[in-house]
Amino acid sequence: MAAVIVDAHLHVDDLPALGWKLDAETCVRRMDEAGIARGVVMTIVDAPEVNPNALELLAEACASFPGRLEAFARIHPWYGDEAVAVLERAFELGFKGLKLHPVSTIAHPADDATLRLIRVAASHGAPTLFHCGDEPLATPYAIAQAAAACPEASIILGHMGGYFHVDEAIEVAERYENVLLETSAMPYPAKIREAVERVGPMRVLYASDGPACSPRIEVEKVRLAGLRPDEEALVFAGNAMRILDGVH
Amino acid sequence: MDAAGIERAIACPVKPYDYDLRAANEIVAEAVAATGGRLTGVARVDPLRGDAARRDLAYALDELGLRGLFLHPWEETYRIADRVVDRVVEPAGERGLPVIVAAGYPLLSEALQVSALARRFPEVTFIATNGLQLNISGLGQIDAELALAEADNLLLQTAGVYREDFLEGVVRRFGAERMLFASSYPLLDPRLEIKRVEWASFADADRVLLLGANAERVFRT
Repeated sequence: MAAVIVDAHLHVDDLPALGWKLDAETCVRRMDEAGIARGVVMTIVDAPEVNPNALELLAEACASFPGRLEAFARIHPWYGDEAVAVLERAFELGFKGLKLHPVSTIAHPADDATLRLIRVAASHGAPTLFHCGDEPLATPYAIAQAAAACPEASIILGHMGGYFHVDEAIEVAERYENVLLETSAMPYPAKIREAVERVGPMRVLYASDGPACSPRIEVEKVRLAGLRPDEEALVFAGNAMRILDGVH
Repeated sequence: MDAAGIERAIACPVKPYDYDLRAANEIVAEAVAATGGRLTGVARVDPLRGDAARRDLAYALDELGLRGLFLHPWEETYRIADRVVDRVVEPAGERGLPVIVAAGYPLLSEALQVSALARRFPEVTFIATNGLQLNISGLGQIDAELALAEADNLLLQTAGVYREDFLEGVVRRFGAERMLFASSYPLLDPRLEIKRVEWASFADADRVLLLGANAERVFRT
């Protein structure tokens, strides 16, 4: 029987300025190509600005494919009370987490406004997925400051450090038990295996950053890591389902 | 290569522990000779070494039989657009040989820095590694496409490019002749890297170019 797969990082958005149109239908089609049962979608830009309708866009996407798509709200921390209100509204709509991209917002992962949002998410049992790569404000050590300040929050390092910061991402996950590593886009299958060996299979989760990135390729990357079947089951689905099902 | 179904490859010298690139080129030439035609070698020099780099390059191309120049601005620490690079590109160009640039490294080999060099040598074929970008946010894509647009003699490799839509877009906009499959082994895994070309939405004829025909043309192998 084929393993169940949950994709923890997909995008739905429409950005004419970049020529990127990423819709729910494309996400699900690409999930089907890769044998993915459920996926978590998020926008490319933030709410309340640049896209004040981001929550509705995602809610509609999820409603179009019941049981297949969940949503994380991507929010700009600088909007203070308004940002918190957007996040609370997201949970009312059934969203499952918070997404932060410090490269686009230039909000430091551990500034007060960002920590406030992370704590709101944690109060719902929901994780915060950070874009975590090679750029300033988004490196593992920068995000580690947030993990240290919010031990009650689950912090997911999306892309687990990108091209150059993967070793630091694994190190941060070793140091903070509330940090998880998410496999999308970074190009090293062997580092997935190393991550599982060093932080355990419960804190590594599969994602694709699709649909512009190929979910099928990203699945292949995890398979090439050569994990044991029980480890692979956790990375592909068990960890994501535990997180998604724990949100209230 | 066998594990990924790869028949032939271009072999570049790695940064040697003793910083002796002349010896590293000799090691590549020995590997080429030992593999019965499966490897084609290219020479690596450090442009900052000036005349010594030119001598090492001439030795590698004329006596060792290497078939191109490999530049790694990140590991040797120079800007690829710096005029100091011209002095090692010239001998490669005079011999009709291509130049591979380790590209996408911040400050030193960004896409538009690579194209600035390529524009100074329109008769030389330049091949940029990593899709001209190493950016996990996708923020390097626009400059990569601008670089391809402003330098017709600039090609790029697929290794490590996680955005499938970028690879497909390059072929659609610039033609399959501008892109080569590459694995960047041993840094990256050829079993994964080849899937980026095999599984993307390319026409079969384009895939033939990407997987081998372009490399055969450029390196005349």
